[in-house]
Amino acid sequence: MTKAFLHSFAAFALALLALGATPAHASKDVVFAVASTFTTTDPYDANDTLSQAMAKSFYEGLFGFDKDMKLIPVLADSYTVSKDGLVYTIKLKKGIKFQDGTDFDAEAVKVNFDRVTNPENHLKRYGLYSIIAKTEAVDAHTARVTLKEPFSAFINDLAHPSGVMISPAALQKWGSKGIAFHPVGTGPFRFVEWKQPDYLKVAKFDGYWRKAYPKVDSITWRSVVDNNSRAALMQTGEAQFTFPVPYELAGVLKAKPGLELVAAPSIVLRYLSMNTLQKPFDNPKVREAIAYAINKQALAKVAFNGYAAPADGVVPDAVEYSVKLGPWPYDVAKAKKLLAEAGYPNGFETELWSAYNYSTAQKVSEFLQQQLQQVGIRTKITLLEAGQRVEKVESWQDPKTAPVRLYYVGWSSSTGEADWALRPLLYGDSWPPKLFNTAYYRNAQVDADIKGALATTDKLQKAKLYRDAQERIWKDAPWAPLVTEKLLSAHSRNLSGVYVMPDASFNFTDIDLK
Amino acid sequence: MSATSAGSHERMRTPWSEFWRKFRRQKIALVAGAFVLLLVVVAIAAPWIVPYDAETYFDYDALNAAPSLAHLFGVDSLGRDIFSRIVMGARISLAAGFLSVAAGSIVGTILGLVAGYYEGWSDRIIMRICDVLFAFPGILLAIGIVAILGGGMANVIAAVAIFSIPTFARLVRGNTLALKHLTYVEAAKSLGASDRTIILRHIFPGTISAVVVYFSLRIGTSIITAASLSFLGMGAQPPMPEWGAMLDAARSDMLVAPHEAIFPALAIFLTVLAFNLLGDGLRDALDPKIERL
Repeated sequence: MTKAFLHSFAAFALALLALGATPAHASKDVVFAVASTFTTTDPYDANDTLSQAMAKSFYEGLFGFDKDMKLIPVLADSYTVSKDGLVYTIKLKKGIKFQDGTDFDAEAVKVNFDRVTNPENHLKRYGLYSIIAKTEAVDAHTARVTLKEPFSAFINDLAHPSGVMISPAALQKWGSKGIAFHPVGTGPFRFVEWKQPDYLKVAKFDGYWRKAYPKVDSITWRSVVDNNSRAALMQTGEAQFTFPVPYELAGVLKAKPGLELVAAPSIVLRYLSMNTLQKPFDNPKVREAIAYAINKQALAKVAFNGYAAPADGVVPDAVEYSVKLGPWPYDVAKAKKLLAEAGYPNGFETELWSAYNYSTAQKVSEFLQQQLQQVGIRTKITLLEAGQRVEKVESWQDPKTAPVRLYYVGWSSSTGEADWALRPLLYGDSWPPKLFNTAYYRNAQVDADIKGALATTDKLQKAKLYRDAQERIWKDAPWAPLVTEKLLSAHSRNLSGVYVMPDASFNFTDIDLK
Repeated sequence: MSATSAGSHERMRTPWSEFWRKFRRQKIALVAGAFVLLLVVVAIAAPWIVPYDAETYFDYDALNAAPSLAHLFGVDSLGRDIFSRIVMGARISLAAGFLSVAAGSIVGTILGLVAGYYEGWSDRIIMRICDVLFAFPGILLAIGIVAILGGGMANVIAAVAIFSIPTFARLVRGNTLALKHLTYVEAAKSLGASDRTIILRHIFPGTISAVVVYFSLRIGTSIITAASLSFLGMGAQPPMPEWGAMLDAARSDMLVAPHEAIFPALAIFLTVLAFNLLGDGLRDALDPKIERL
């Protein structure tokens, strides 16, 4: 009886093994496990990095970034700028087809830019492209873009993951809103189906212009919000790639044979902004004291499990024109002295808000609370959820009554250039609700530098202006710069060619599965 | 049982000695009661018991350290001593449980007395409102109230209190309806006693035993509701060592440092269990119907 049972069990196990074994020419299907649901497939209408990263499956832009955030031409071949910095003439690559079989040409460029610059379409990325005055198709493979005013970071804007080329025929067929459910681009994969909120599937596009690419047959993007479940999918082999890996679980995945844990540098800067319009943060000594009071090295260890480094400046290293100014030293004695000089020898009480409510942000907030307590600053923590963040911080109308004080937040400058790292956050005209200057910081010289840098196309002059701006900001300390975090991803060892870029977007041009 | 027919040779039984005679026969409830007593002592003496400050102490060199002699329950992901936090947390959880149920039972009892004694319109209005509140699953109602009042421990206590009101109101109303037709109440009425006197002196004492039983049963539920709200991020704000909040914070480190989740979870589990067992024991001891069976 037992013997018979054992036999049948063995047979069953063998059958399982046989089922599990991979035939030599199996189709290469890859599963990505990501942390959020997709808001849309239309990059022009997406505010989140993830949706734009996913859209790279089927869309490409005129320009793009390689995995190290270097600007490269993609559908464009080359470009020239007029002397006054107003007219960009872009030559396009030839022989490229959209997934619906239509040709990619200058007319397509015009259709796409006309669409995003038309305010009636209400696209979320309107602001990034509103600088465009008009777009013309000079001939089939030459597009001419005229700007409203000189804007030297324009090509970076075109390389932003939102600036993609959508098939004009598909746009015509599905309409500006409908295209989000029927994306058609020039990318390596064509859209198959989107089962909200579980997954989105794409399959190899046989007519892709890069010969022999892509090297896998399909990608399934699975949204798995829970951290532990995402890690479990990797451990069981149900997914081949995941991002982000929660810092707490880095050790667990690292220890698993067959998995590779990758810590990539990022341009995500984490900082503590201080409302400079309000007492006691209007006093630079108080702001400096706070910056001195925080042990950034320990922060990296406690909240990021070591996968972060103290911030070197106000613009992350990998961003063009960033200047290394720090890290800001950790010095409790000095912090206390500065507080005493500012008239707060016993510290004070204030609010500490976190822009996020996930576990790492909670740890950071509690850590900051512990640190500030050491110098007598008692804080009340509130972890804002997205709605509260918009209501209480980002869309607050009157700067004078803004309730934000200490505000923990992060910023990823997805154009890879200093303008988008400084202007939205520290420019005098960028106070909420316009943009995200939550410190309500204004320094006339910094404003002049940022404006000047935008207007000039001279790289040396630009570098000089951005250096001056960053040095002044560092000195004024509207923020306590904290850390730049590492981006943790994991992939199975048989998967190659998938990279997390410094702005937390993905590059999977070379994706392959062995 | 024969012991209930009072023998003339026995000393007179006060209600208290009667209660104790029945209650001490229930071993489990006795143990639970002892545990609750211990919890109360710990909660009161917490500041003198804790080896480290629950909120301000930290040791970044011992992050996520497992339990040891220096740290009986280990260290959490922010370098804090978990034992100290659990002990201080007992204060918060017990206070939240007691305060919310006390508030809920007081308001509920008053409403129940009014509804049961006067009947008519006041009864209908009070009971319909209670029915509406009953229609919500407990935790959902509490979440709804916190969503309106805003987060924080004080509001959580208010929310749990509100969600305790209808049960007490209904319980007391039922007792009041039965009591007010008893002869001694009618006698008091015919002697010209005011409504106030009748309610407070003659009816209210008759409802006390039911309220006490329900009070003790309800504390367990209230503690777990308060902890759940904190677990969902709506109650205690960091760095408050509230058990539910600690459990929530431990979630992200659970695979690496399970002790961070185990101890707060155990604390909640044992406390709620003890209160429920104690409540069962009290019910068996106080409910005259059970003896008759």
